Amino acid sequence: MSSAISKTIDSERVFKYLLIAPAVFVILLIGLYPLIKLIVTSFQNISMFDNDLSYQGFINYERLLDDDRLWKSLLHTIIFTAIALPIELVLGYLLALLFLEKLPFKQTLVAIILLPTIISPIVAGSIWRLMLDQRFGPINQIIAWFAGGDVRLLWTVETALVWPAILIAEVWQWTPFMFLLLLAALSNVDKEQLEAAQIDGASWWMTFRRIVLPAIMPVMFIAVLIRALDLFRVFDVIWTMTQGGPGTFTETISIYAYQMAFREFEISYSSAIAFLVIFLLTVTVVWALRRVEVSR
Amino acid sequence: MIRWDRGWRLTLRVACALMVTIVFLFPVYWLAAISIKTPNEIYSYPPVWLPAQVNLSSYMTLFRDGDAWSVWHSLVTAGVSTVFAMFIGTIAAYSIVRFRTGGDHLAIWIISQRMIPPICVAFPIFLLYVSWQIVDTYVGLILLYTAFNVPYVTWMMRGYIQEIPLELEQSAMVDGLTRWSVLWKVVMPMARAGLFATAVFTFIFAWNDFLFALILTKSEVVTYTVKVTGYFGSQSTFWSKIGAMSMLGVLPMILVVGTMQRFIVRGISLGAVKG
Amino acid sequence: MAITYFTRRAMMAVYASILALAMAGSASAESAADRAVEAAKKHSGITLNVFYEAGLQPLDPKNFTGPMWEKLTGIKINVIESPIDQMFTKTMQAHRAGSGAYDVLNVLPNQMPDLALAGALEPLDAFVDKYGYREELQLIAPVYRDNQMKVEGTIYGFPDDGDVLILYYRRDLFDDPDNKKAFKAKHGYELAPPKTWKEFSDIGQFITAKYGPKIYGAGMLRQPGNAQFLFQERFRVEGGKFFDADSMKATINSDIAVRIFNEMVAENKWMPPGVEQWGFGEAFSAFLAGDIAMTISWPPVGRWAAGYGKGTEALNWIPETTVADTIGYALPPGGRPELAAGFSLSVASGSKHKEAAYLFIQWMNSEEISLQRVQLPFALRDPFRTSHFSNEDYRSKWPNAGDYLDVLKKGAETGLLDLSLIQIDRYEEALRQGISRLWAGDDPKQILDDMAAQWDKLTERIGVDKQKRVYTDWANKPNAYPN
Repeated sequence: MSSAISKTIDSERVFKYLLIAPAVFVILLIGLYPLIKLIVTSFQNISMFDNDLSYQGFINYERLLDDDRLWKSLLHTIIFTAIALPIELVLGYLLALLFLEKLPFKQTLVAIILLPTIISPIVAGSIWRLMLDQRFGPINQIIAWFAGGDVRLLWTVETALVWPAILIAEVWQWTPFMFLLLLAALSNVDKEQLEAAQIDGASWWMTFRRIVLPAIMPVMFIAVLIRALDLFRVFDVIWTMTQGGPGTFTETISIYAYQMAFREFEISYSSAIAFLVIFLLTVTVVWALRRVEVSR
Repeated sequence: MIRWDRGWRLTLRVACALMVTIVFLFPVYWLAAISIKTPNEIYSYPPVWLPAQVNLSSYMTLFRDGDAWSVWHSLVTAGVSTVFAMFIGTIAAYSIVRFRTGGDHLAIWIISQRMIPPICVAFPIFLLYVSWQIVDTYVGLILLYTAFNVPYVTWMMRGYIQEIPLELEQSAMVDGLTRWSVLWKVVMPMARAGLFATAVFTFIFAWNDFLFALILTKSEVVTYTVKVTGYFGSQSTFWSKIGAMSMLGVLPMILVVGTMQRFIVRGISLGAVKG
Repeated sequence: MAITYFTRRAMMAVYASILALAMAGSASAESAADRAVEAAKKHSGITLNVFYEAGLQPLDPKNFTGPMWEKLTGIKINVIESPIDQMFTKTMQAHRAGSGAYDVLNVLPNQMPDLALAGALEPLDAFVDKYGYREELQLIAPVYRDNQMKVEGTIYGFPDDGDVLILYYRRDLFDDPDNKKAFKAKHGYELAPPKTWKEFSDIGQFITAKYGPKIYGAGMLRQPGNAQFLFQERFRVEGGKFFDADSMKATINSDIAVRIFNEMVAENKWMPPGVEQWGFGEAFSAFLAGDIAMTISWPPVGRWAAGYGKGTEALNWIPETTVADTIGYALPPGGRPELAAGFSLSVASGSKHKEAAYLFIQWMNSEEISLQRVQLPFALRDPFRTSHFSNEDYRSKWPNAGDYLDVLKKGAETGLLDLSLIQIDRYEEALRQGISRLWAGDDPKQILDDMAAQWDKLTERIGVDKQKRVYTDWANKPNAYPN
């Protein structure tokens, strides 16, 4: 009897490792070399002209500390993520609620709502840039109709308007992501429990907290995590709309890293930046994970 | 019992749904309109809302010049990599959820792949690909997108699998099914909604990629995102080609997503089944 | 018998000498282009990878020079395209990876020092001498020839594009007698293409006041990426210097610069609303639509506004020109136009077919082939050889094409070079950001002081002596500063 059990346990062990093996393999295949190279180059001094492969110590990391522009871009990134994420989450949730029950043409409408995510972010940024243009764009026209006169809003030039413009484009493009994920999650919530709660006269908030939230939490958590990581690394939309301008006002960490790595060829320094980002994000994610796991 | 699918509540929902749809659709409409506008209409001030005629010449040009192939390249690389990533990621997710394989460390390591700014690894990966001689090939891009999407799939499916009650699997095993069969015959169907939702976005992430496609392609497998950026020239902006190419990129997606999301939405009836 | 033999020998000698003379004659008459073709034939069968800016530019090698070259030599041309702001990156990355991905390169002349010093470009002097191209190189218009070909005395590329920012204006508005009278009465001098920026502002405001909002006085390239070229020019014309030649300290924040910044902001007020966002597309479409009376931009505007190339497939994205018969051409205020951007043809140092690549660019850049190339309706390559400007065929393409070419020719003599330094893109980036801050409303003095500080920090990072050498090399070129 015991040998049968241990055999099951053994085959289970093999099974579970077999299941994760392809994933680990493919990630390592593509990810390992770049990561190692990243670490190594961050301790070297490789730039456009220097191909110096000798160990340079922590000079790149020291440079990080001195670099105002880097910390400003981090600040921009954090604030941007902190604003965009709740908006997308709440809007996505409300939309999912809206579409949860039967609705005529539901499939068509859902498919249409998903369109923004299918447009390449480069094109999305460009089309919003065009739509917000003073001369060629309809948005200012629409605003003028409501305001009753000519408006002059330079969405990609004026300091007060650039972040709203970027947020509009970003939220427009990715709320459907939240929407679809939450729709799938909400549709798996046990209807019997919901009906029972309603019969018992529970308030909307109670129902939400006790029944809905726990049921969708796993998916919602992942969606928020993925979205937060992507917002942190946002590049395409901001690049096409403002190139990080005016000045460096809308420069996020990715745009700064792009300037360093691609335009200025500061390979070593951008590797150090990459590590800073990875470190910060890992710390945050681990902290978030602990909190969520603890509360379950 | 408040029913939201009857009467005035239904009408309200329909009205809201339509308004929301219009808001999300409007920029896409603008893009579509540009793809059929004449140059005068595109550059006209004030902007033209409704093109006077449907002018499909940009689409013809894209097919004639062979630019339309880039949409096909995108389809192949995104599609194949999605299939691989879905398979690899889902089985990994099952292992992590049911067996707690690798504990937290493995899971965190997997998701940490998504924390790396692509900009910083693009050049090292390029060097790697040069030495493997897979720059500008299908294999190269598919491998890349698979590797980059497996973390997303793993984590998403982890969430959906966690929603499935353990009792279902246990009762199936009591009935004599192996772990592998349980995975395919019980867990997968239950997670169908999640599977499709995840697949859709896995595809979209690969589809939308610009940076890696830019660095890793030259002329053979140029994807549509890279092709489109070529239309933004320093002394020329081919707006109607941009619009047409974007539409070409969107139309197959509408079909794919349109058919797939039916399964996601149908999850309502599946979720109600219990015990 | 002896006589016939003698005569026969004489005849042979005569024939032989005639033949020899004929061959000698054709050898000297053989052009650089022909020589390139002949020499390239032995490489028949290979494929050359040619790297071009995406958009209209690649139509030249794809539809014209590529097929022609293949017919002549059997060498295939594979065109690889890239958005212009990625070209530098991709060139450097290919060089670093040693992948030999590109054979022929298009290089922005002010980035040539960076690429040459990084070792990405093949020095061409040996090839030039081997295939006798020095003579034809001399025939390139001086300003391009003397400034966009060499780095520290070595040839790294052939100037291939006469990019220069000239003034386009509406002759009908300027010639209108009522306008002339009213303007003279108001300002005391004749209404004519502006020679100074003050005149530019006077004329602009006059036209906006009279015709606005239908027609504005001017619409300029104000988007930072383009505006930085115009600033570079205006700054130098007004007497500014980028650096102190001895200390290499940036002097971009002088009073001249502050004044120019303020003037630019003031000018925006009488230009179409939103002009701060205008790039090439906005400005030229507005000019073609008749909405602005003046603009300063690249040469294609002059051709397309005149309707040249209308009806060709490649140009079917251009809106109708409503001003075809009323365009005037002139040098911009100050008379020293900016030779903005431009392209030189180079050979990648990592190329596996260096000689074939070199022969292709010699052929493309030669007198006869380049003449055809700049006249292509979809060409973005603008006239750059002295012979281009005087070519009768070109001059008759539209009624005042002659004026157009004359102004371009003057530009090729008086034009000012883009600033060129080690890591020039970083300096330009600071300038671009400064201009974007200007439109956002920041204080000009503050912006310029910050810019100067950024420049100084960069120079220190790169190495003051290293940078000084490159800067002095640039500053000593005849067209760097208006002396």
